[in-house]
Amino acid sequence: MPDRDTIKNVISEAEPKTIGDYFLLDKKIEEIKKNQEIESESLFKIAILFSFTAKGIKEAINVECCKLGVIPEFFAGDYKQYAQDILNKNSELYRFKPNVVFFFIDIKSLFGENFFSPYQISNEERKRFVEEKIEEVKKLLQTLSKRTSAKIVFHNFEVPCHSPLGILESKEKFGFIESIEYLNSELRKFIKLNSPIFLFDYNSFSSRIGKDKILDHKMYYLADMKIGMEYLATLAKEYLSYIKPLLSLSKKCLVLDLDNTLWGGIIGEDGIEGIKLGPTSEGMPFWEFQKYILELFNRGVILAINSSNNPDDVLKALREHPYMILKENHFASMQINWNDKVSNIKKIAEEIGIDVSSMVFIDDSQVNRQIIKEALPEVTVVDMPEDSSLYLKTIMEIDDFNTFSLTVEDTKRGQMYSAQRERKKFQETSGNIDEYLKNLNTVVTFEKVNNFTIPRIAQLTQKTNQFNMTTKRYLDTEIKNFSENENYFVFSVKVEDKFGDNGITGTAVIEKQGKEWRIDIFLLSCRVIGRAIEKVMLARIIEQAKKEGVKTLIGEFIPTAKNSPAKDFYKDNGFKLAEKKEEFQKWNFELSVSNFNYPDFIKIKNEKA
Amino acid sequence: MKKLKKILAKVLEVKESSITDKTSSENVLSWDSFNTLMIISEIETVFNTKLTIQEAVNVKSVKDIKDILKNHGVVL
Repeated sequence: MPDRDTIKNVISEAEPKTIGDYFLLDKKIEEIKKNQEIESESLFKIAILFSFTAKGIKEAINVECCKLGVIPEFFAGDYKQYAQDILNKNSELYRFKPNVVFFFIDIKSLFGENFFSPYQISNEERKRFVEEKIEEVKKLLQTLSKRTSAKIVFHNFEVPCHSPLGILESKEKFGFIESIEYLNSELRKFIKLNSPIFLFDYNSFSSRIGKDKILDHKMYYLADMKIGMEYLATLAKEYLSYIKPLLSLSKKCLVLDLDNTLWGGIIGEDGIEGIKLGPTSEGMPFWEFQKYILELFNRGVILAINSSNNPDDVLKALREHPYMILKENHFASMQINWNDKVSNIKKIAEEIGIDVSSMVFIDDSQVNRQIIKEALPEVTVVDMPEDSSLYLKTIMEIDDFNTFSLTVEDTKRGQMYSAQRERKKFQETSGNIDEYLKNLNTVVTFEKVNNFTIPRIAQLTQKTNQFNMTTKRYLDTEIKNFSENENYFVFSVKVEDKFGDNGITGTAVIEKQGKEWRIDIFLLSCRVIGRAIEKVMLARIIEQAKKEGVKTLIGEFIPTAKNSPAKDFYKDNGFKLAEKKEEFQKWNFELSVSNFNYPDFIKIKNEKA
Repeated sequence: MKKLKKILAKVLEVKESSITDKTSSENVLSWDSFNTLMIISEIETVFNTKLTIQEAVNVKSVKDIKDILKNHGVVL
């Protein structure tokens, strides 16, 4: 879209430093938006509900979003009005239909006089007071989550550093500081049980900046600003962690250099005994860096190597170095050769079956980073510090791997990719593709949507780009609504074969419109493309449609930059083109005319279907 | 003076050349109370100093700012 590009061009070169810079850029963005008359539907809707003046925060979020190529639209309620905005079901907030709500009540607003004079009341009164406040906040959150389908980002409360009781504070039965810690812990428990609500750990955020610094006392008295102007942009940048996964901008794969990245020194020159890795001053930064990367792997981040080295040197180090944390089986692709780093990244993308835009690249060499930035601007390149002692801090600050839920599939992803490597080897030794598919002993299990599969189904709609007919993104709550609606048929498929379990890797959402059924979502994870799973899914839909006396099955195809693997699917499987409007194609399958069978080499299981 | 003019031009969206000592919230429409705060915040960052609240409430014109900065030992 040209308008997006105009904004991106204006913003991408800008490096705003002060809040004044953000205001200036914000004005530019708003001007472009006005001139181009961008349709409101295409904008990402952000609501800001703050209990204090939020001036500056909207501007900073706007600029940071546009840098990502996302154009937002804002609702910023009047700061004394947040409760009314939430409780009045006809409020402008709900008419705005936000995608995300940043909800921030600060402790001074919540506690009122009891913040400034905490010991005017007894411990018992304080306990009652805090319990009341907890209920008040819970009620606001509950109402908000019931009335919007937005993700709600709720800020916990800054725990003060000072008490009028001084060192006796900790001896109180239910002290002032403890009461705020209690409030935080009770709300954390509540949020755990409410899936659309996420916690922004503001107490930890303000600790990181420094509680003495984050409040600019002067600005607070002059304008009720509870965060110093210089930190508004820092806060806005933190919000991106919640915005990226909502827009499927999260990354999937971490591509790593080796020498001076995963260990100190050069393996080809220093040898396995010479490289720095393990419990020494110089080895620790790399050792702990690897440990953290292993944690990312365990949460489902795919790992790959892109290194200029002799493969034998590297393999020996990965297998034999006593302090090596990351081993061969953690990497889904290993490009260790003397080819250029750009071709290697492309090769990794091809091998794993993901797009380069899903990658984060880490390399200690600034030259290599620059090459990647220029050749493949869609790859996120991390600016690694010169000093290896700062590696761990740097990787901890990466906010690109966030997802709104962690499914069984995520935590097992590592194993699944090593099974994938074996599968590939097996394919190479098989005579032809039919023989290969037959000998895989594939078992496909259908499962009708239920509370256990909802998070994974929603996640698949958010993350699948390639074999995806419509690329519609749905949240957990939306899938749940489908599951409770008789007019929808939603199922998932689990794919197993002799190399292992791929987990839930495909899903379909079908809307029943009388004698016509419309396939709203039809997608397969890239891991199982090319194995006739899509035919099994289609056969299942057709079988069900016949059972219910349906005449026509309608398939839609909406092309994107990434879904070309899916483009001929309806055409190749008995559908006839019924309508074509610009980017949109409608395909019909007449059940009275055509037939469709399950491929005979795949075993089918039905669970609760 | 160049740095100061740059800040004022940016926040108030006026030409640097139009800024004189007499420029004030009285004669520049965009110089409202919030922009005063923003000017103060920018000045504090650029000149690495902190204004007191008494100084801040008295900022009405370019001359006021220059006097305050002079008291802070900032050479313009």
